[in-house]
Parts: sequence; C-alpha cells; structure tokens
Amino acid sequence: MPELIITKNLDVPGIDSLAVYQQYGGYTALAKALREYQPDALVEMMKVSGLRGRGGAGFPTGLKWSFLAKNNMPRYLCCNSDESEPGTCKDRVLMERMPHRLLEGVIITSYACHVQTAFIYVRGELTRAAEQVEKAVDEAYAAGLLGSNILGSDFSLDVIVHRGAGAYICGEESALMESLEGRRGYPRLKPPFPAVVGLYGGPTVINNCETLATVPAIVAGGAEWYASFGTEKSKGTRIFCLSGQVKNPGNYELPLGVPMRTLIYDEAYGGGILGDRELKAVIPGGSSTFILGADKIDTPLDYESIAAAGSMLGSGGVIVISDETCIVGAIARMSEFYRDESCGKCTPCREGTFWMTEILERLEHGHGEMRDIDLLLDICDNVSGKSFCPLGDAATSCITSGIRLFREEFEYHVTHGHCLTGPGSKQQAHETVQAVGSR
Amino acid sequence: MPEEKKDELIHLTIDGMPVEVPPGTLVWAAAQQAGIEIPIYCYHPKMPPLGACRMCFVEIEKVPKPPQTSCTTPVAEGMVVHTKTEKVLKARQGTLEFLLLNHPLDCPICDKAGECDLQDFTLRHGPGKTRFDLHKRHYQKPIPVSNDVLLDRERCILCQRCTRFSSEISMDNGLVMISRGFRMEVGTAPGHAFDSVFSGNTTEICPVGALTASTYRFKARPWELKHTPGVCNNCSVGCNARIDTRVDRVTRLMSRNNDAIDDGWLCNRGRWEFGYVNNPQRLRTPLIRRNGQLSAASWDEAISYIATRLKEIKAQHGAQAIAGIGSTRTTNEEAYLFQKLLRQVLGSNNVDHQHGYFPGPRDQLTGKPWMMTNSIVDIEQASHIVLIASDPYQRQPILNLRIKKALRKGARISIINAAETELDRLATLKLTVPEGASAGVAAKIMLKQVLKNPEVDLTGHEEIRTLLQREDQVIRAGEDLFGARMTTQLQALADELVGAQGAILLYDEMATLEPGNEDLAADLQAIAVLTGQIDRPGAGVGPLFEDANSLGARDMGLLPDSLPGYQALAEPGLDYNEILSNSQVKALLVMGANPARHVADGKLSSGLELLVVQDLLLSETAQQADVVLPAVSFAEKDGSMTNVDHHVQAIHRALRPLPGARADWEILTALARYLGAEWDYTHPGDILLEIAGQNPFYAGLTWEELGAQGVRSLEEQEAAHV
Repeated sequence: MPELIITKNLDVPGIDSLAVYQQYGGYTALAKALREYQPDALVEMMKVSGLRGRGGAGFPTGLKWSFLAKNNMPRYLCCNSDESEPGTCKDRVLMERMPHRLLEGVIITSYACHVQTAFIYVRGELTRAAEQVEKAVDEAYAAGLLGSNILGSDFSLDVIVHRGAGAYICGEESALMESLEGRRGYPRLKPPFPAVVGLYGGPTVINNCETLATVPAIVAGGAEWYASFGTEKSKGTRIFCLSGQVKNPGNYELPLGVPMRTLIYDEAYGGGILGDRELKAVIPGGSSTFILGADKIDTPLDYESIAAAGSMLGSGGVIVISDETCIVGAIARMSEFYRDESCGKCTPCREGTFWMTEILERLEHGHGEMRDIDLLLDICDNVSGKSFCPLGDAATSCITSGIRLFREEFEYHVTHGHCLTGPGSKQQAHETVQAVGSR
Repeated sequence: MPEEKKDELIHLTIDGMPVEVPPGTLVWAAAQQAGIEIPIYCYHPKMPPLGACRMCFVEIEKVPKPPQTSCTTPVAEGMVVHTKTEKVLKARQGTLEFLLLNHPLDCPICDKAGECDLQDFTLRHGPGKTRFDLHKRHYQKPIPVSNDVLLDRERCILCQRCTRFSSEISMDNGLVMISRGFRMEVGTAPGHAFDSVFSGNTTEICPVGALTASTYRFKARPWELKHTPGVCNNCSVGCNARIDTRVDRVTRLMSRNNDAIDDGWLCNRGRWEFGYVNNPQRLRTPLIRRNGQLSAASWDEAISYIATRLKEIKAQHGAQAIAGIGSTRTTNEEAYLFQKLLRQVLGSNNVDHQHGYFPGPRDQLTGKPWMMTNSIVDIEQASHIVLIASDPYQRQPILNLRIKKALRKGARISIINAAETELDRLATLKLTVPEGASAGVAAKIMLKQVLKNPEVDLTGHEEIRTLLQREDQVIRAGEDLFGARMTTQLQALADELVGAQGAILLYDEMATLEPGNEDLAADLQAIAVLTGQIDRPGAGVGPLFEDANSLGARDMGLLPDSLPGYQALAEPGLDYNEILSNSQVKALLVMGANPARHVADGKLSSGLELLVVQDLLLSETAQQADVVLPAVSFAEKDGSMTNVDHHVQAIHRALRPLPGARADWEILTALARYLGAEWDYTHPGDILLEIAGQNPFYAGLTWEELGAQGVRSLEEQEAAHV
C-alpha cells in the first residue's frame, strides 16, 4: 500500500471535528507556513512540489499562483468545490469527512497569495459536504484559525461558504465567479484570465478542492518529499474515483503513474470487472475525456501517458465499461447530460448537444440511419473548438472517440434496429426470456 | 475611440487588404471599416463583446486553435486576418445550421423578413439546405412580454442582445434569459415587468423576428418602406430617427445613431407616439367661425379674413392689442417668422410661448443664455451628476441612458426630488423633498454651504453672498423642513461639488414654475460657477427643456423681452400669462400651442376679438378660435430644430403634406404677404440663412451644412457671414 497524502487519516472517527483533526497533526502546516515562510516562498514551494490542478486541466498550481496581477484591487481565492463531472466523487468525500484539511489548504493558499477573502463554492446538490465545510469554518473562526491575526500572525482571512444552485457549468472557473457574484452561471470571456480580472474584478486564484487539500501536506512534508511521488512530470498522488462495472468502486489515492490495470484489477482497489466480464473501454478522467479502448489498460495513470494514449487524466473519474454495455446507449446517456447542462450561452454547444442527443437517441432505439454516424462526427467538428468554453468540446469527446473505437456497434444499431450488446440486444432478450422461463 | 489616440493607429491586413484602425478596435469593426462583412448576431457596437453566437469567425495567422471570433479579438500590430478560409466558412455554416435547426420557416408571415439578419446571412454565408430531419421545437406563437412588445420564442436565436440591453444599457433587467441549454428562452423574471420606457429598442436590435412591436406588426413589409432621416419631435433631446413611411403614413421610427445625442437609442415615446401624424381627425381645411360655428373656408378666404381683421384691430386698438403665442415643437424657421410677423409686420412685442421661469433672457452671472452649458456627451464624463427637480426617465428619457453610462464609468448620482424617479434605485444619494419644502430651497441650502467652503474663491462674486443673506429666513425654514439629516446631506453634497473632478447639475425647465423654485435656475448656475463646475469637460449646469424645439423657440426670440439671439429689449412685451389674462389683448395668434390648457376654466379671454390658431388637430384652443388653419407635422416639412444641448438639426419631409394643410412657415409667409410685407421665402433654408445672418448663435449655418447629424453651435460668433 503506497503512502497516503490527501486521504491520510480520512477514516479516523471524528476527524471532521477540529479537535480530532488537530490531534492528528491538523493545522501544524498552517502554523509552520505562517511562522517559517514568506508568502512568495510558499509559491516557490508549490512550483518545486510539481503540484498540478486536480480539477481537470492539470495546470501547475505554483505557476497559477505566481500569475496573480499586482494591482490595488482586492484579491480573492475561490475554492472550486462544484464537483459535477460525471464519474467524479473525490471532493465530496474530502469535504464530508475531512473539511478541515481543505480549510487548512485554503488558509495557507490565501496567505501565500495575499488573499484576505476566500470563497468555497460547494456544488448545490452536496448538502452534507456544504454543512460539514460550514461547520469547519465556524470551528476555525472560534479557534482563531480564521478571522483577524490568525494564530497570532499579522495575517487575516475571512472564508465564505457559498452553495451553488445546481449547474454543471458553474464548475467552469469563470462561470463560478459569475454565479458567486449573483448572476446567471455563464462562462466569461478570456482573456482577461481570473488571475488578472477575476471575482468582483480583483485578481483571483481559483483552485480545485483536492488541489487545496493537498497544500497542507506539501507544507508539512516539504516540496521535495511530495515531488518524490509520481513520475517525472506528474508528481505526487491523486484520488482516482473508480466507477462503472467494477467490483469495488470507490475513491483510491495512488501516486501518479500507476498503471490503469492496477487500479481496476488489483484486489486492493477495483478488484476486477463486475461479473468477471471482459473490459470494453475506460473513460480515464470523467465523462468529458476521450474513451480509451481495452488495449490501453496498461497505460500509466499520469498526465503525459494518458495524453499519449489519446485522452486526458481530467478530474480523475475513471469509468469502467465492460463488454456488457452498449456503447451507443452509454454515449447517448452522456450526451443527454451535456444537452441538459449546456448553459445555453453559445450556439454550437446549445444547439449541437440538442441535435446530437436526438440523433444518438434515435440510433440507440434502432431508428437511425447510416448517414447519422458521419453526421454526428461532423456536428462534433462544428461544436468542438467553435463553442465559447471547453464544455462544448467536452460534449463531443465521448462521441468522437466512441465512434472511432466502436463504429461497428453504431452501424449494427442501424442495420439491426437494436443493440449489439447489453440489455437492449437480442441476445440479452433471449437470456432474459430463458431466465424467466426457468423460474 | 478616445481622440488623443487617433494618431497611433494599428496596422493589420484583412483578406489581403491593409487596414488602419485605432488601438482597441475589434477585428470585426476593423473588417467593417474595410468594407468586409463578417456576419454577427450577439455583438452590438454599443455593448461590450459577448462572443456567444459564434458567427463572426475569422482565421488569424499565428494564433493557435483557429477559428477565432472577431467580435472578441482586439486588433494587434501586424495581424493577418482571413475571413473566408475553408475553416471559417465551415464554422459559420455550422453555426447557421445550428441556428436554423429550430427556427421556423415562417418568413412569409414574419415582419422581419426583408431586414432579417438570419435570412440575409443564411443567403450570403449559410448552407443551402439543412441536415436536420427531426421535429423542430414549438412554442406558443407570440406572447406579450410587455404592453408593446411581443415575443415569438420559436424565432428567437438566443443572441441575447435584448437581455443585454436590459442589463447593460437600460440597467433594469426587464428581459432575462430563462432556463438553460436548449430549453433556454427569453422572458421576464418572476415578479418583474418589462415596463421600461426603453423596451422598444429591443425590437430594433433583435436580429430576427422574435421581438416585434405591437404598433408595427403586420403593418408593412420592410421593402415597401421609404426611409427618411429625421429627428424625433417628442422631447428636447432631439434623438435622430429614421422615419419609415408607407403610402404617406408613418409606420415606425427607428433609431439613427448619433453618438453625440442619442447614442443609438430611442425611447418608446419617440419610437411609437406618432399617432397624431396619422390621426384621421387631422384638420384638412381652414375654418372660419360663422354664426358661432366653425365652417370650412378656402385658404385665400381665411388668410385675407385674418389680415383684414388684424388691420382693423390694429387701427382701432393699436399694435399693443395684438399678441402671439408660439410653439416649442415647430421649427426654428417657423418660430423666427412668427416673432418677425408680430414684431416687424404687426409691430407688437407681445410674443411668448409656454416655458420655464428664468430671470431675464440671460444669466446675470455668466452672461450666458439659459441653456445647459455642457453637452450630452459631457454627462458620461462627469464624476458627479446632480438631478434636482428633474426626472429625465419620464421627461427626456434618452438622457437617462446617458446618465446610466456615466454611472457605469463610476459617476455618483445624486437626486433631489419630491417624487420617486426611476434612477433612485441606482443613485448614490436620493433626497426626497418634504411636503412644504422645495427643490429651490434645497439649492439655496447648497449654495449657502458653497459660500462657506474655504476652498471657494468668491472674488468678483461677492454679490451672491449679499443676495443669499436676504434669503436667510427662507433657508432656515427650509432646513427645518428638510430636517437635520437631509440638511447635512445637502451640505455634504455641496462640499463634494467643490472638489469634484466634474459635476453636472440638471433641473427641469418646468420645475422653475413651481412655488419656491423661482431662484432655482439662478442659484444652481451660481453653485456651478462658484465650484468651478462650468466650461470644462464633464462639468456643467442647466435646464432640461421640455419640447423638441424649446431651446430653439428661445433662440429665435419667442420671448417678450428678447429679440432673436437673446438681444434684450428695453421695453418688453406682455409675457405668456399676461397675454392670456390682459384684457387689452384683442387679437391673439397661436401657432402650435394650446394655451386653453393653462387658463383657469379652459376658456380664453372673452375680450378677444380675433383668435387665430394654427394646429394639426382641433385642440381646446382651436375650438374657441375665430379662424383655424390646418398645419402639418414634423414629418411633413423641412426645417431645423435646436435640442437641449444646442445641436441644430435638420428635419426632412418624410411624407407628402396632408392635403389641405400647410407648413406653419408657409402660413406665416402667406399672412405676412397679405399684410403687405415682402416675404419671398420658398424654402426653410432661405429663412435659416436670414437667421444665420442675424443670430450670433447660428452664425454661418446653412441648410446644407446641417447634414445628417446636425451641428452643435454653442459659441456666440461675432461676425455673421452669409
């Protein structure tokens, strides 16, 4: 079992309380940061640690902090806890079980970035997580860990917990800020980037929940220690959210670079495919990343290797698809998600996701035509790179990669009028009839 | 673009064509300047870029991930832009195909067809056919979103121009986007009405037939309309408008952008209240009272009758028995001829019109005539705007948008008014004038504070202190009525004006007629002068006039105490109220005014032996007249008008004059000739030349020079050249 960093002590009873968290060394990193480091030194430390954003894009965290514009506007920190990517469930667990680790990360980051007001934007549906974070914030205020002159230093910080209203788009950093400011969740034009003009017009650092929760460990253990995990370019550990047709779905923290096979098949983690079926495909980083075929099972789970295999490490949501799944149906379901969650601001995403979903549903239900498959690819081309924000691109990933890998399955739906595999197939129907008959 | 940057131009190439534009220009605008059309839906030049419709794609060399949206990309030195590459054309066709997925093909019954951007761009940039073979979204056909605007959600392409107009320009969120993704639609927020006086602009900026005006629906096809450049006649702002007519009826007014005046917007009053032009009750023949009844007469009959009666009355009672009441809505030329007829032909100085109260033709402190000293554009450069006893939203609506523009740039708005106003919700300070107090006394409290301020230099203005000392009792009583808190706020505001980067104080012309406001104009002028908030950019003071040519009427000498150009008369004639009450007045000429509304029982003096009224309709005054002469509206004649910041603008004949009716200047010319004067004007341009020769504020102006956007002639010129 490799060393745990972010999820260390996650299972300790009562660790969601300040007292227990402190018993296990909580807030010593904050004290160390305030005592021993100038803010700039912490930014440098993050650069050396090699920590990269765990939200999806994998941007180097220290570099992001160093981009903050130097002007006289107030600076803000936004913690992006609007975890909405299908297949991703790590931030939720961190917030529910160990909210103080996130809060400690928020305080250290605010100190490093000269921020005096930080916002934690929690996905609307995550009621328990938001309550836990709010409770942690209250405890921290009471203990002098938030507010004026934290731990006797001259650093002061206010943290405001804000709950979203349930929109996938608000996980996009600029839409999150629009939402925080009380407006409709729409992505903003970039440039200017948040580091220059962000929340309320001030330079803003915005990091994912897991990223911020990693910060205390780096401060406590040192940048070199953290960098000793993982690979040359993908350092450290991260939480993989394993879901789909796998025996032991759940969150697993692993050093970057562990082969996908280990995560899915190792008894300590996934434990193999549900029903011991054949692996058909894997979505390695949440539903917005390209589907990988079973042949990529030995790809190391690090940013570079997954990119070389043709996808992205994304949010760490590893979705396992077995041969029992009809890929057309799975993609149609994902497409419905993007259709429903498109914010509607730009034409290609708004109309394209609607049209693609209509076609996919038609194909899945056996009413499609052969030309629909190439039409889908062409619509994807008219959406991807043409939409306002990356959500439009994301909506096309599963479709383009799905057709590339499993075109014959799409064609089968047209020629046979039903699924090749899974519950909608004739085979399945046959088996079901037999099962009912033998009862 | 700021003027000082004009010399540093950015050079770029668009489709092989070299283009020079100021820094900060968007690629879209640069292409437009070069005559290259880049289709666009969401972008509007008066709003910040949005980048939502994904129509304006271009390819820019050395920029990763083509194509780029040209409406969000500023130009850069040496940029090489291509607007017609394969990638660009495919992306545009893709967007158009998306937009047409759910758009109904109801062009034959759509009001927008013929001037629809979706129709036009599809023809020029779009795919010839669609690959969408599924069912289109359906919504209930038009639903009212306000009393005047209807929304057809099927036609809406969700470009968000209308909702951004509501949020960014009129700042009232009247229209908002509802739901998200493919379910998104335009609508009103729960509990919020789309009742803005600016709502009509959304029907104009809507690129498709989604938002339509109830007044125009199914009235005409765009290609049948004749467009005439005109100026709105409904308030003193003088917004430039395009008058669209079909078979000699006005069908609608559209904005005709003039950055110096309207910034491209019209209010609903200006846009839709032209019913009087098309009114079937319009007068079509002169009327003479015979046996107590008004009955039809020929023009010759009517004019010769008036001339005869005027001569008789003058012979019997003297010229002083003749008086004239002019209009604030007729042209400068007509106002000028009206006073000329009274003064030179009939020999009477009893000329006036209904207007606010100002002490004398000019402000004694500055020697300037009573008018706003700043331009409309200055408003958006101000750091402080004080609206005292004025409500532009109701009275000069488009100025409200200019004030909001200033607000977005950080200006502080202070409102002193007894009533609630639309701007209250956005104001930094709102002081409600209490019952019994007046805006006039608020101004006095402020002036007193200004005099106390040690930073104010009183040199040369010591008399103001003396004058104000006489008012001390009034001020003390006022302070009691306002209470300690509001008095302190007024004093703080006065102190703020002393150091302000640029402050503009605006009051309504008509507010000066209210009790307690007699000195409002003079006191505010004094505040502006003493605090240095005059005669520099972003600073000024002045009245907001009521009507389209209120200022022109003053300029032209429709005043008992001054000749054209504010040349004071030693012996003034009777003023408006005196004309209406003095029994010595035996003959009254009324041009485009309705004084019956301003006398107690609506009945004009029974001592009148001759009442002549020139008007469009049989007004309360005309009903009492001895002779009624049918006039024509602003849409049926040429002439010039002078707006609130002294832009002299041309109006043009958009319709053939109503048969039987004549322009006021033609009527006056005919009457003068019957009275023996040698007037030979054949066009208002001739009259303007005469005005330019005499009136220092119009020196050098010619009809041709007024052009499409008018001329702001504020400086008094010494020598007139004709």
